[in-house]
Amino acid sequence: MTGTSFLETLYNTRPGRAVARRAGLADPPKLRRGRTEPTGHTALATLPGGGVGAETLSLLGIAPSTALVDVPEHRTKDERGRDVPPAYSTRPGALVVDATGVREIGQLELLRQVLRPAMRGLERSGRIIILATDASAVDGLEAKAVAQGIDGINRTIGKELRGGSTSNLLFLTEGATAGDLSSSVSFLLEGRSAFVDGQAWRIAPRKDGDEGTTGADRGAPFAGRIVVVTGAARGIGAAIARTFARDGATVVAVDVPAAGENLSAVANELGGSALQLDITADDAGARIARHVASIHGGDTKIWAIVHNAGITRDKMLANLDEKLWGSVLEVNLAAEIRIDAVLLDRDLPGGLADCARIVGIASTSGVAGNKGQTNYAASKAGVMGLVWAMAEELADRPITANAVAPGFIETDMTAAIPFVSREIFRRTNSLQQGGQPVDVAETIVHLCDPASGGVNGQVIRVCGQNLVGA
Amino acid sequence: MVLRNAVVVGGNRTPFTKAGGRFAAASAQDLLTSALDGLVARFGLAGQQMGQVTAGAVLKHTRDFNLTREAVLGSALSPHTPATDVAMACGTGMEAIATIANKIRLGQIDNGIAGGADSASDAPIVVSEALRRAMLTASRAKSVLDRVKAFASLVPADLIPVPPTVNEARTGLSMGESQAITTRKWGITREAQDEMALASHRNLAKAWDAGFFDDLVTGYLGVTRDTVLRADTTADKLAALKPVFGRGDDATMTAGNSTALSDGAALVLMAEEEWAKEHGWPTLARIVDTQLGAADYVTGAEDLLLAPTRAIPVLLERNGLTLDDFDFLEIHEAFASTALATIKALEQGGVGVVDPSKLNVNGSSLAAGHPFAATGARIVASLAKMLAAKGPGSRGLVSICTAGGQGVTAILEGI
Amino acid sequence: MMRTVTTLKELPDVGGLIATGMLTAVGRPGAKAGLPARSLVVEKHHQDAGRLAAYNRVCGFTLRNQVPATWLHVLTFPLHAALMVGRDFPFPLAGVVHVTNHMTLHRPVTLTDELRIAVWSDNLAPHKRGVTFNLIGEIHVGDELAWSGRSNYMAMGATTDAPAPPPAARLSPPEVPASQLWQLPADLGRQYAEVSRDSNPIHLYPLTSRPFGFKRPIIHGMWTHAKALSSLGPRLPQTFSVDVAFTKPLMLPTKATFAADEADGVWRFAVARPGSDAPSLVGRVTDPMP
Repeated sequence: MTGTSFLETLYNTRPGRAVARRAGLADPPKLRRGRTEPTGHTALATLPGGGVGAETLSLLGIAPSTALVDVPEHRTKDERGRDVPPAYSTRPGALVVDATGVREIGQLELLRQVLRPAMRGLERSGRIIILATDASAVDGLEAKAVAQGIDGINRTIGKELRGGSTSNLLFLTEGATAGDLSSSVSFLLEGRSAFVDGQAWRIAPRKDGDEGTTGADRGAPFAGRIVVVTGAARGIGAAIARTFARDGATVVAVDVPAAGENLSAVANELGGSALQLDITADDAGARIARHVASIHGGDTKIWAIVHNAGITRDKMLANLDEKLWGSVLEVNLAAEIRIDAVLLDRDLPGGLADCARIVGIASTSGVAGNKGQTNYAASKAGVMGLVWAMAEELADRPITANAVAPGFIETDMTAAIPFVSREIFRRTNSLQQGGQPVDVAETIVHLCDPASGGVNGQVIRVCGQNLVGA
Repeated sequence: MVLRNAVVVGGNRTPFTKAGGRFAAASAQDLLTSALDGLVARFGLAGQQMGQVTAGAVLKHTRDFNLTREAVLGSALSPHTPATDVAMACGTGMEAIATIANKIRLGQIDNGIAGGADSASDAPIVVSEALRRAMLTASRAKSVLDRVKAFASLVPADLIPVPPTVNEARTGLSMGESQAITTRKWGITREAQDEMALASHRNLAKAWDAGFFDDLVTGYLGVTRDTVLRADTTADKLAALKPVFGRGDDATMTAGNSTALSDGAALVLMAEEEWAKEHGWPTLARIVDTQLGAADYVTGAEDLLLAPTRAIPVLLERNGLTLDDFDFLEIHEAFASTALATIKALEQGGVGVVDPSKLNVNGSSLAAGHPFAATGARIVASLAKMLAAKGPGSRGLVSICTAGGQGVTAILEGI
Repeated sequence: MMRTVTTLKELPDVGGLIATGMLTAVGRPGAKAGLPARSLVVEKHHQDAGRLAAYNRVCGFTLRNQVPATWLHVLTFPLHAALMVGRDFPFPLAGVVHVTNHMTLHRPVTLTDELRIAVWSDNLAPHKRGVTFNLIGEIHVGDELAWSGRSNYMAMGATTDAPAPPPAARLSPPEVPASQLWQLPADLGRQYAEVSRDSNPIHLYPLTSRPFGFKRPIIHGMWTHAKALSSLGPRLPQTFSVDVAFTKPLMLPTKATFAADEADGVWRFAVARPGSDAPSLVGRVTDPMP
């Protein structure tokens, strides 16, 4: 029943009706969520030179079926004599295309052959996962162009797929193995990635000293690990804290003192602890560390920190003063840099562990810009720059830094967006709906997974493949 | 010989609000549960079994006979956590802290939580004595007619509920009226009282602005700051208020220099020092010693609210200390004139001189409000934090006067 | 199906609605007319702390900034009543009984949240004793769906040609002895009517319940539901789904037992009259359902 009433309201306003006609709205598909695997089988297409896909599925304990191939001799004719591509006898839940050996333009035809039968053949909330070798790991102009060409395929089929199905691409850099890949493939197969669509990110070999596991620990991968989440009192932050706790983490929930009552409710429900803290305080990083060391044991270190706290102070630049400008950059970007700098001190009790994960929150506004959000876009694009730079700076430490960029997520904040633009924003993505806070949370938890050491310096958009900033 | 030390690990309270304000709908149990949940969250205690929780409330309904245990059962603590109620009027919270501290020092428990809650908004309303008797008769009556007869003798006034009072049972005087006598007797001027009230508001406002309460207060029902506090009050504003206690030219006590009836709850988390260190818990300050005192006030020989002046000399002597040995003095501001008369009495009694720069430096009850049973834990949690910041060996003295002519005092020492 | 939306400024006064409902009982169109294709919305509802506190006291909840899930049902009730009192509603208000209730608290809702409350009806279906239908409620905080509820009602004795739904899974009562004994005083229906605004006469006095076939007033099913949840205390998670079936009315005054057990994060509970094998309410709390 979710969303029905909004649709109704929409239909009954004049601008709403106009939007509805344009968008040809139907009830959006209901997405598979959580740690749920597809119900149908997983088909695997290993294109020439591939192999890591089969290895990865084997690590995950998945026995794949063989993907159908659309070549003329496999086609049948319908009653009017037209060619029909081969059809799966039972709908696959996922198709994994191992294109890691594809180097030539002519080989892209092989992707077309295995993708065509799946486009209408997948079950609802089905998955297409394409594995390719990153341009940095192939030689020659054609091979590099082909690598990017595969992403064009990925982004387009993301838009063509129906019924809540998604397509995503994982680029393997030099030396990346099935063990490095398995965490992301597991994430993409499961309902956890419901609102991640048309995205591509890189998988690198995990760094020396990364204590992460391979495969997927489906029980409690974060058991015994401390995860700090800022802005955890409500909304997306509370969803992040809950999702970490579901997967076994001990959560340190941080928010401003004014949000204390909700914060303590979140912390108590999850069996974690609450820290009332203004993250822009000079000693914020030190206070986080002190809290961790004093509440969770002197030897305890932080496994992951999620810089979720953020604010908006929207105004057209023509009306934007230094106060609104400064506060957004301070909370959304500067505080994060200061806190990380403190927590990265190896000798700090309660600081980040030797092997750790850092996640920032970017935004599609940062990717593409957004009217009335110069300050916000600056801070969020800054977060992207920050994780790219951190990944380089921390090259010799087994710490990853990544970001997620949420698109339209249904929260109590989005109500501030004017009705029509909000409805357009909500609908203009490949999944025709807004995302849920848990969708952002799942992606963040994935980035922090002990098995996700191969994902570093990446920005993953959780936007249902929004048209904005693609 | 004390082998074990009881230390303050931290505290939590609700903001305090004026009675009839934003917490008007909350009961003492609601308030205590909220303070408890905030404390549990701050120290990551959800689901854990604590040694003991002891608290109380001054204004209790009959349903509150197991107030603290009910709050524990409604909180995120393990239901295996035992709980007891204590009662010592405005000294309830401090006496609860003394109880837990002593059990920790005796080795009976390793950790515990103590404090109190009060809702002046949700005070028990009592029916008149005549109506109560009529209801008793009616409940024994056999017929409807007898039942009707039982109420026949009542006059309309008997049906008006009796509002709660804080009148002393033995003098019939309200606390303000008693204090007005003390104020006159000790020659406490209006100016001195207003000055103390102003300092209290300024100090508390400064502490809030500095984030001092970030790890001492958790919001409740959307209230995130003490609402009695008037950061913008001035000497002129205070001077303009009309006296509410006392008569004639001697009437110097106003709503500005007396504490407001208020709602709130406060708790401190305590543990045995070594145990706390083993568990990595913060150790802010030791509860060194506590002492009660009682005054002969019924016939006016002594003052109702100056009993702490009997306890403090005993406490100091037992610990070989003088007032000069303390870095912080926390003298509960029941009324500005109470604290001022206490200071004067200590001075005249040869106990020592109170250095105003050490007195209630982060504000006290005049600005924060005084939900009776919550005040002890408010003071102790704040003081422990101040002592921890001041450093090892720093000392603080707590003095709280109570109804019934009693006082409870304590020494804390920074770690 | 497209519904017309009526936006109301505030939640309507239920007392008046119920009176209207009683007066307009005759001449209802019946199931053939189908359910009205309307939904009612209040865009900006601000909750009343005093009323919430009174509700919490009657139902046994501790007063917190986070409000009970059943309180949110109470906020949808005036709109449900308005929908049912409308001339286009097929059944008379007095002839319908609450059979089952499902609600999901998707995220905690606080007293200070501004709420968008929407209700509509759907799913007309035949039943061996009449016709059932759902009253749906949704509460958003901003754009976030915070709470959704589905109250399944039965119009006794009505008939319909609508296709029969697949039989619903029955809730099983806990397999443990009762651990609580509740006292339900004679005026409990009036107490709950005061805080919930549901002043249906069958809940108030013997004199007002008798015309509807109850010798004594019966307690609101939603009180029993709320009391059951408050009895779980802090064991109730921050977000959850709860299903209850109202299997038998409880006539006031009475005592009632409460039993609950938990396995794999699912709480089952039942409320029954002491010594009775047939529970009056059976329920189940699970992880939030999407």
